[in-house]
Amino acid sequence: MTTEDKQKYFEEYNNNTHRIGRICEAAVIIMLLGAPFVIGAYLGAMPNMSAALKAFLAIGIVHLISCVVEYLIYVPMLGAGGSYLAFITGNLINMKIPCAINARDIVGAKTGTAENEIISTLSIAASSLVTIAVLALGVLMMIPLQPVLQSPVLQPAFENVVPALFGAMAYKYYKGNLNIAPVPLVLMTLLFVFVPGLIGSTSMMIIPSGAISIAIAYALYVKDWRKDHL
Amino acid sequence: MEILSKLNSPVMYLISGSIVAFVALLCVVFAVRAYRAGKAIGMDTKKMKTAIVASVSFAALPSIAILLGVIALSGSLGTPWPWLRLSVIGALHYETQVAQAAAEAVGVGGLSAANMTPEAFSTIAFLMSLCIIWGMVFCTFTCKKYTSKLGTGKMAEEDGSAPQEPAKDKSGKAKNRPPLSKFADRAMTATFIGMVSTYIGSYVGKLVSGGGLLKFKGDWMPLAVAIAAFLAMGFFMWLKDKKKAAWVDSFSIAGSMLIAMAAAIFMAGLA
Repeated sequence: MTTEDKQKYFEEYNNNTHRIGRICEAAVIIMLLGAPFVIGAYLGAMPNMSAALKAFLAIGIVHLISCVVEYLIYVPMLGAGGSYLAFITGNLINMKIPCAINARDIVGAKTGTAENEIISTLSIAASSLVTIAVLALGVLMMIPLQPVLQSPVLQPAFENVVPALFGAMAYKYYKGNLNIAPVPLVLMTLLFVFVPGLIGSTSMMIIPSGAISIAIAYALYVKDWRKDHL
Repeated sequence: MEILSKLNSPVMYLISGSIVAFVALLCVVFAVRAYRAGKAIGMDTKKMKTAIVASVSFAALPSIAILLGVIALSGSLGTPWPWLRLSVIGALHYETQVAQAAAEAVGVGGLSAANMTPEAFSTIAFLMSLCIIWGMVFCTFTCKKYTSKLGTGKMAEEDGSAPQEPAKDKSGKAKNRPPLSKFADRAMTATFIGMVSTYIGSYVGKLVSGGGLLKFKGDWMPLAVAIAAFLAMGFFMWLKDKKKAAWVDSFSIAGSMLIAMAAAIFMAGLA
């Protein structure tokens, strides 16, 4: 296959991915929104729509904004197939995204390439299946497992999964990027130290911190490019 | 507690289980299609298998943590619904927050099996779905347009890098700005640096000002665990680079997390 043939093949594959992805997303949306009504019929009480609307205005708007941001940031990272699957399977920040980036780094695929799209899709599918299997097994064994997993001795470990993840990722991403990392790290540290009230909205602070990091990376990129080309 | 027995009934398992099974099937379909496409465009199958193995090992530990989330929510919402929500689309911090807000709005005070009513449950379940579907909605309606605008999915250059943009603009003049496609990779790394910095900064903030501004009386554990994971990762990378143990790479993040989580148990015992 020539590169042109491969490009054509991949474009066709991507078009089909969009078609299948859209159908699947629509099906899952209908299932998720429909399930509470099916459950309501079973329990004999339908959802209270005015209470749901009230709660949506209080908390749903925040999640709506964060969904927009996640969508804008993660789709370029994952490509079509990975994005459709990731938004269906969830657990983006704490698993799917780092997992896909890790897989991509290990095999050396570059953002924006067909290879990256394939690796992201494989990675998200594999990690989702692991989660589904672990949860299904766990739910099956819930009764005998419960005392072990809820043992107070193990709680500090499970309460700190996210810090463990970000500590490991810090080494991976700071190493080799010491010209970018100090500014967002110092700024975010100062922000949370002097405005501790923001600690409850940490995920929202990713937006300015990410923007600062991208701005620094872009300035360095332009500088390097000009040195080589002008 | 009659409500809990209904929430844990076979009907509820059937409703949740059928959606989980559908999503599992989608994962298999997407994976098989991607693998075949990768093969067809000449990707090294070894690399694809490595990516799968790395992802499986990466996902194992966080999945156990997610399972704990199911256990945590099962006391008030039964097991099948949290099982569905954390298998599909959800995330523990999000689910708990939304369920709590819905419980308050419906007038049962908070998430508790003692106060749960059928109406409260179906409202909570509906709100949990309504709040989190937006990523899927955007994907359904705009993903094709968005990805084509981004120009993703091009075949890589011979050296594996992202495809080159023409060096001249439409008028034929040489560009004096670098091509954006080459920046995409650095932008993603930068986004991750921003994200990691935000969380690490919040852990420092928790310690320094979590118990009062600049009083150093806050929770020190998240920062200590992050440092433990950072050091463990450094050790794994040392093994990989200096001892030529390339296989370590696939397990480095999961391994670092495990070591840091074990350290958390140890440190909690000392405190």
